[in-house]
Amino acid sequence: MLDANEIAVLGVGAGIKLLLWPAYRSTDFEVHRNWLAITGSLPVRQWYYEDRSEWTLDYPPFFAWFEWALSHAARLWDPRIVDVDRLGYAAESCIAFQRLTVLISELVLFMALRRALRACGGDTAQGRIAAALVFLSPGFLLVDHVHFQYNGFLVGILVYSLAFALEGRDLLAGAAFAVLLCFKHIFVYIAPAYFVYLLRHYCVRGPGGGGGGGTGAAALRLAKLGSVVAAVFGAAFGPFVAMGQTQQLAARLFPFRRGLCHAFWAPNFWALYVAADRALAAAQFPRWLAAAADAGGGPPQLHSATRGRVGDTRFVVLPDVPPLGAFVATLAALAPACAVLLQRRCGPAQLVQAVVLCAHASFLFGWHVHEKAVILIVAPLGLVVAAAPSPRVLRMHTVLAAAGYFSLLPLLFGAQELPIKAAVLVIWMLCALALLRADGSSAWRCLMRAERLYVAGLAPLFALTELAPGVFGRMQFMPLALVSVYAALGVTYAWLGIVAAFLWDPPPPPPAA
Amino acid sequence: MARRGRPAGSTQPIETVPVRRWFRFLEAQGAQGIALPVTLLFSLLVRWCVSLHGYSGRGKPPLFGDYEAQRHWMELTIHLPPKEWYYFDLQYWGLDYPPLTAFQSWLCGLVAHWIDPSWVALGASRGIETHASKLFMRATVVVLEFAVFVPAVVLLFQSRQLRMPWAARQMATFCMLLQPGLVLIDHGHFQYNAVMLGFVVWAVYFALREKHVLMAVAFCCSFMFKQMALYFAPAVFFFLLAKCLQPPRSALLFVKLALAVLGTIGTMLLPWIHSPSQLQQILVRVFPVARGLYEDKVANVWCAVNVVVRLRSLLPVWSLVRLATAATVVAFLPACLHMFHAIRRQSRSQAGAADASRLFRYCLLNTSLAFFLFSFQAHEKSILIPLAPALMLIHEEERAVSWLVQVALFSNYPLLFRDGLHMPYWVLAAGWSFLRSRPGCSADKQTSSFVACLQWLTTLAMLAIHACHAVVPPPPSLPDIYAVLNATFSCVMFAAFFLYFNYRQFAGQRLGVTSAKQKTA
Repeated sequence: MLDANEIAVLGVGAGIKLLLWPAYRSTDFEVHRNWLAITGSLPVRQWYYEDRSEWTLDYPPFFAWFEWALSHAARLWDPRIVDVDRLGYAAESCIAFQRLTVLISELVLFMALRRALRACGGDTAQGRIAAALVFLSPGFLLVDHVHFQYNGFLVGILVYSLAFALEGRDLLAGAAFAVLLCFKHIFVYIAPAYFVYLLRHYCVRGPGGGGGGGTGAAALRLAKLGSVVAAVFGAAFGPFVAMGQTQQLAARLFPFRRGLCHAFWAPNFWALYVAADRALAAAQFPRWLAAAADAGGGPPQLHSATRGRVGDTRFVVLPDVPPLGAFVATLAALAPACAVLLQRRCGPAQLVQAVVLCAHASFLFGWHVHEKAVILIVAPLGLVVAAAPSPRVLRMHTVLAAAGYFSLLPLLFGAQELPIKAAVLVIWMLCALALLRADGSSAWRCLMRAERLYVAGLAPLFALTELAPGVFGRMQFMPLALVSVYAALGVTYAWLGIVAAFLWDPPPPPPAA
Repeated sequence: MARRGRPAGSTQPIETVPVRRWFRFLEAQGAQGIALPVTLLFSLLVRWCVSLHGYSGRGKPPLFGDYEAQRHWMELTIHLPPKEWYYFDLQYWGLDYPPLTAFQSWLCGLVAHWIDPSWVALGASRGIETHASKLFMRATVVVLEFAVFVPAVVLLFQSRQLRMPWAARQMATFCMLLQPGLVLIDHGHFQYNAVMLGFVVWAVYFALREKHVLMAVAFCCSFMFKQMALYFAPAVFFFLLAKCLQPPRSALLFVKLALAVLGTIGTMLLPWIHSPSQLQQILVRVFPVARGLYEDKVANVWCAVNVVVRLRSLLPVWSLVRLATAATVVAFLPACLHMFHAIRRQSRSQAGAADASRLFRYCLLNTSLAFFLFSFQAHEKSILIPLAPALMLIHEEERAVSWLVQVALFSNYPLLFRDGLHMPYWVLAAGWSFLRSRPGCSADKQTSSFVACLQWLTTLAMLAIHACHAVVPPPPSLPDIYAVLNATFSCVMFAAFFLYFNYRQFAGQRLGVTSAKQKTA
């Protein structure tokens, strides 16, 4: 049963989320409505071929089945929602229905966090605050309930999987993660952590630890794990493979036409790289400033990096980055995650850390990363913070959350959402700074001076980019670029700090029984 | 899994009211610093979220509603000289509030004109409902509320003179700022009540700080913004008179107060002061006696009596005015005289200021409730006026005030539903009931289980009326049955609250003990 505190968190959250219904919706709203229509009114064999709308189905099959399940309710609610030809349908009933599905499916995250807290010994005041801060974070509030996505539901499955691992049920954890991959394949970025962990912790060591039964038993466990994962993938992809749609499915799931950076630069290493390129270009050709003033915009190269929707990024000075380069960089950056799991102690706590590091590394160096992916780092890091973190982890959590959530703000670009996003972010930051603790002192006290300056510096940056974008004149790309670069500094710094903390900080004391 | 954890290792009984648990928790964590900023930002968030929803008269040409009225006043004040303000096209939302509202419209209109002249173009902008102009209008309400109302509330509850524990101050601030009636009417329906009420809170604050001249000025601003603030006038008058007569008697204070009142009113009437006909026109516009005893369905005595006796058809308008006035005076006089005598006999002291302030707040509440129940031409929205002093008493009257807020919100639902504010209504009503009152499971020993039961019953009754309204269509012979049911039920409740708060005012003084002390003991 839920206790009074949990009801309060759910209730306050639900109240705000319900009030946000009429707020801005991105095209993702229509994407998901269209998927409801496709899965609800077309036979399965047409799901991945249907292209009357430009928002074709490009998530793995389990997500399609999820939409299929929702479409039954949608048909009862308002049959026009599931009409494939009614493109852009957004009557009040449709908005209410879709917003409601986000609100309800997010409960998976809530229950998962509860379960994970109990499993990791974090069911203390600190743990409950950390979990509440994950559940009510600006990430979910702004991206899911305003912008419109189902991240809460998907991260919920991830947290369930971690909770199973924390409970020592490795096989179940592996199965849950496989299910998650069949919902949204972006999570493949954290698959290496699971792969190494399950191999070492489940197959080699065995449930009892210490090798459990020799090589034969290990091979048996490997087979067991392999067959479970294969069963999940078979259930998801099998029917489509059987219908001979493998190529079509692959083409939909992995559109390789996209550029290095997303329309807004996600605050990662490549944002810094592009910015450095532009800065060097500006140093080399000071004349472009004058040219920009004449031509009504920055130099064409700048546009290609900042404005293009899926366009390619061209570099002026620094060498071009091919997809392979980004891929190699990502792989290299995954090394610390593997190192965490290859230490002498390799338990579920290390799995959570490795998941954080994988998500972080792929966010920093991945190809065409979305800024929303920062949620995938901060949410599992919240679980680390829930269970007696070291001061360094808490510091990095603060910097990362501040930078990452701040970089989400440009997603909601309308004046109407300005007070909402500012209030949500500041309330969250105040609670995180004052209520999260490590070694008895609050997060704000743990921060070093430079970090405090960095976090406080977000306020003038917000004023500059959101309230007075006019000061940049014709350089309209500047507000977004500034946000990206400033946030990228924080995200990169936090990565280095987290790597150091997970590899070298002494382990936290075992939770009191 | 909860922000509102229990204070660890505390010996206090388990706190069941979530808002208080939150503040107690902050206290236990040593995080008092974030309490006020979080409260303020949360109020901003809730207000802005409500403002995303519908407003009065949206998409209903040709007359629209209160939203268009306010916008129209911005339009006419910036384009016309003051002497035409109270005459211009009276059929289309002619200006019918006192001068301070006109000045506020003028100021907002100037800003609007500066941003985008089409929002307030004379004539051409009628009924304009573009996204940007709506945002601007919504923003003016928020900005004015945060300029006038919010600082007054914060200062009042933070002042040392009130002798309240830290958590109680924070909770009172939270409740007063997030009282759903005000949020829904101002930021949903669209009005500027918070400005009028903000000046009243300033007046109470200055009374507490014994700055009586400033208090008089603040109160004059209040009723020069909206004449409904005159509901408080008898209480303020008797309070200030008592202060003048309090030993040592001060004729100087009396003169200063008289000058302050006349000066404030005179300054605001300056553009019209040279012409008696202009002044008369303002008076006629501001007090529209011709509109009748009451409008629509309102939860006051006249509307309730109307169910049995059709007063409006029995008596001419002027007799009704006299009847209503006499009834109102009879209703507010006991509370006012009681306060007057108590304060006049009191000696000046630090403790005296707190006691006098508490008595003054009770008297404000009782007087304004008397006006709401008995005065001529009350609106259903006017219940917000008694709610302001009620919320200033939330520390003394926890259960009663939370309950009153529930009923007041309920009494406004026909209006809010007309504006398409179903969702915010339900969210805020549920939120208030949950965060604040939790009928039936309170740990405080002051209220008996009988009262808790009664609150449960009334809550169920309100829910039942809602359910019937949603499910059963009204019979053709009684199309207004639900509105009448709502008004009658609310009126009975308000009358009961009126008697109870009068009793509390008299009983509290006779015992000579501040109930704040009882609470903390």
